[in-house]
Amino acid sequence: MNRRMIFAVAILFFAATAWAQFINEHGPQLQPGKTAAVEFLAPDQVSVPAAKPTKVLLHFRVQPGLHINSHTPHDEFLIPTVFSIPDGKGVRLESVSYPPGRDFVLPADPTKKLNVYTGYFVLDALLVAAPGEHVVEAKLRFQACDQSQCMPPKTIPITVVVTGK
Amino acid sequence: MKRNTVVLGVTMALLALFAWAGWANWIWRQQRAEQLLANAAKATLVPDANGGSPHYDSPLQGKPAPSFALEDLSGHKVQLENFRGKAILLNFWATWCGPCRIETPWLVELRNQYAAQGFEVVGISTEGEDLKPDDKAGQARQHDAVKKFVEIMKVPYPMLLGGDVLAQTYGGLDSMPTSFYLDKNGVVVAVQLGITSKAEIEASILKAMGK
Repeated sequence: MNRRMIFAVAILFFAATAWAQFINEHGPQLQPGKTAAVEFLAPDQVSVPAAKPTKVLLHFRVQPGLHINSHTPHDEFLIPTVFSIPDGKGVRLESVSYPPGRDFVLPADPTKKLNVYTGYFVLDALLVAAPGEHVVEAKLRFQACDQSQCMPPKTIPITVVVTGK
Repeated sequence: MKRNTVVLGVTMALLALFAWAGWANWIWRQQRAEQLLANAAKATLVPDANGGSPHYDSPLQGKPAPSFALEDLSGHKVQLENFRGKAILLNFWATWCGPCRIETPWLVELRNQYAAQGFEVVGISTEGEDLKPDDKAGQARQHDAVKKFVEIMKVPYPMLLGGDVLAQTYGGLDSMPTSFYLDKNGVVVAVQLGITSKAEIEASILKAMGK
């Protein structure tokens, strides 16, 4: 009897857990998730001489049809593209060399020039790594638009394994 | 004794697992419900039945605009109901939005042109996920940026802050500019996502004014 009770309680627990995980798919369906405006392409890992400033090229791609502000947009209100590495991770970011943006106009006002990145672009980061392997969680902040509308500014994680030798 | 301890430990671990599963699932469901609510109100671009330009069809179209109370640049609470009796253009915009900067002078001109006929623009600054409600310094910087923008653009209409809280009821607001045109009874008669042209904005204003 006692064992039966324990068995029944266990069944009830598992049934409750299964129910808790049940997701109602009969409501309105979500639209497919949007692709991120900017994709980090490479490198996933890199080796650099320890304690010596070393240039590392970081490759990105802006999705077709979109543009993001360059590091030096023409307008003070626009959000520049900025790459950063948090302090204290064994890898220090000395400086970043950003590519020049290209001038770009929206069809709604051909007189107003924006300075943007489109397609493929590369940042040249000067890193100083302590000896050993470090998983660096860097960040890229940007703000993307298409020809008529803009998406909110976004910060994406950039994970690179940096080995100081 | 030892066996009892093991049974107790396993039971506690199972209970903790159930509790965690339930909590994680509850959070997930809440986020999903919020997403569904926002998507349910999201406007979509549809082709024109008569062969004209495509237009945005919103679930809010033909319905009363959701009410709100937001602060203006002076810190005063402003409600949508304050504008009842006027045709309204609710313009969700952001300081970082290039197309918003292009269309703002058009909105200023059209507002000045039609204000005497019972029309008003209500600007609502909507900055997105970067600016958290508890980020006081960020909110202050945002206030200053909007104020500067208003001064540079000589904006004569009310400018409200913190539009992100309206994202669910107004269809996500995941791109800027987004405009809702309300008639004198507060009913949504047109929705526009993104910048179009001054002429199209004027046509929607006239529609809101019943002309």
